Amino acid sequence: MVSCVYVESAVRNHPRTEQLLERLHKLPRIEIEHYGEVFNPRSQNFRLQKKNPAIIIAHKNKGQVLAAPEGYGLGGDYNYYFSHMLNCIYDCRYCFLQGMYQSAHQVLFVNYEDFGDQIRQIAALHPGKPVWFYSGYDCDSLANEPMTRFTDYFIPLVAAIDNAWMELRTKSTQVRSMLKMEPVARIVTAFSFSDQFSHSKLENGVPSIAKRIEAMRRLIEAGWPVGLRFDPVVYHRQYQTAFVDLLDQVFAKIDAQKLHSVSLGSFRLTRDHFRKISRLYPEEPLFAQNMHLNNGIISYPLDREQEMIEFCEAQLMKRIPAQSYHPCEWHG
Amino acid sequence: MLIWVCALHCEAKPVIDYYRLKKSHDARAFDVYHGDDMVCIISGIGKVASAAASAWIAASNPGATSIAWINLGVAGAAEHEIGDMFLLNKVVDADSGQRYYPAPVAASSLAGSACLTLGQPSDNYREDTLFDMEASGFMHAALRFSSAELTQSLKIVSDNRRQQTGKNRQRVSELVQQHIDSIDRQVRALFELKREIAALELAPEAWQQLLSMAHFTQTQKNRLRVLWRYLGNRNFSSESLLGQLAAQKSARSIIQTLEQISFRDSEDL
Ligand code: SF4
Repeated sequence: MVSCVYVESAVRNHPRTEQLLERLHKLPRIEIEHYGEVFNPRSQNFRLQKKNPAIIIAHKNKGQVLAAPEGYGLGGDYNYYFSHMLNCIYDCRYCFLQGMYQSAHQVLFVNYEDFGDQIRQIAALHPGKPVWFYSGYDCDSLANEPMTRFTDYFIPLVAAIDNAWMELRTKSTQVRSMLKMEPVARIVTAFSFSDQFSHSKLENGVPSIAKRIEAMRRLIEAGWPVGLRFDPVVYHRQYQTAFVDLLDQVFAKIDAQKLHSVSLGSFRLTRDHFRKISRLYPEEPLFAQNMHLNNGIISYPLDREQEMIEFCEAQLMKRIPAQSYHPCEWHG
Repeated sequence: MLIWVCALHCEAKPVIDYYRLKKSHDARAFDVYHGDDMVCIISGIGKVASAAASAWIAASNPGATSIAWINLGVAGAAEHEIGDMFLLNKVVDADSGQRYYPAPVAASSLAGSACLTLGQPSDNYREDTLFDMEASGFMHAALRFSSAELTQSLKIVSDNRRQQTGKNRQRVSELVQQHIDSIDRQVRALFELKREIAALELAPEAWQQLLSMAHFTQTQKNRLRVLWRYLGNRNFSSESLLGQLAAQKSARSIIQTLEQISFRDSEDL
């Protein structure tokens, strides 16, 4: 349950703010100067806040679009990411966002036009070369779609830039607005899945696997490129059978030939995020498993990680064309 | 522990009576009343007094693992009716401009309001905010000890443009008293939040016993704490764990044994 709405005074009269406030009219509204004064103070308890987060309507002043970390993405040469929101309405226990900010409140930036300007400028720096823009790094791209209307602005924007590609990373089923648009070959919606057992234990509030598969199916049917992300694969005693069951469930409804890309990665977090999150949730089995620190990244011991990836890869390869597979190199 | 911070005894009296708090005869700096997991401190008027009292009472209770706070008092408002109660969601210090945002308790049905904390009494009523003389000092100090979710300020309108009752002590007590049920609901909600945090803490006796079993370096202690908190929160009994560790001779083997138990337990997520 959302507790209240904070609104930056400077964007109080922005048309997107007005739309948002109309939807949120039942919630207490508190005017603030800058989102950082609510979002950044240390004296907040993320865990308590996550139960009843607030929504913060704000303006992103700079750094709207940033270079993606090395190895992030699908192997293109030019990779950038941007987040029109900070934090997520879902609560996946493995999610690095839990350790990212002091606050669990959801920040919604309304100055899409500034994001758009930066996307155009960056794409123009690499004429004729594909430039990837990843959305859903600090949030779930579509989860708040009915409120943010993200796709209404960003899809036509990217569609109009010849060398721009965009990936929307999501665990939501909010594809209604995309189904009303003409599909764009350079915009990939990537759905992430973990097996049913991990989903039930770790993905609080996330729509069921069946519902997400249905959302994927509808997008594919409408002609949109769709990606599959089996990430993170989480270790548990039954992970192998659970992963096979997940693949069976997905490919019973999805034609593997029609997938834009498939990737796979096991659970991993930077050491700092791992420490912060495991302190927040000391009772969480995921963080009590046998883990290993390598190059600042905490993940499963190498032999276990290898075994998991090899097994999952082998299963996956039985079902998808090799060229659509992209292993996750990015660790963090 | 829940700490009440009130400027005046007449503001605190309904709370003292309701929760049957007893006056402490040890405290000299401030009047303090104690009850079951609850303390009420009478700070005196003004933000400096409120900050000093809050810091003093927190420092006097170093054993309290998580503290919830309620600053309860009267405030001025331009148009609100005398007796209306608000849960503050924004506190602005009129002198420094510093702003504080106590996190709204979602379960609360109380109306929210901003409050401007003044350095001097004033009858310059503003439309969009309550005003008082303590909230910013209270926030400044209390937020050093607790999170914004556990730090609340409740203000009841005692003065408006038409009527001023803030100087009538009897009346102030009555104004607070008429909200005692809503105040109690707020207390319960805060205790609920506080319990959630406190449940994750280590039980001190068993922890001390564990530490006395071997010599642990600081790094080993950190690891031990993680393992012990995990197992404690997964309902492993400390007696049975300590029993299993009795045969271990070194810090390392104690940690390894606890690791094996944790690894086994966590494989089912
Ligand atoms: S859906 Fe994605 S962004 Fe949201 S909590 Fe889960 S992992 Fe994090």
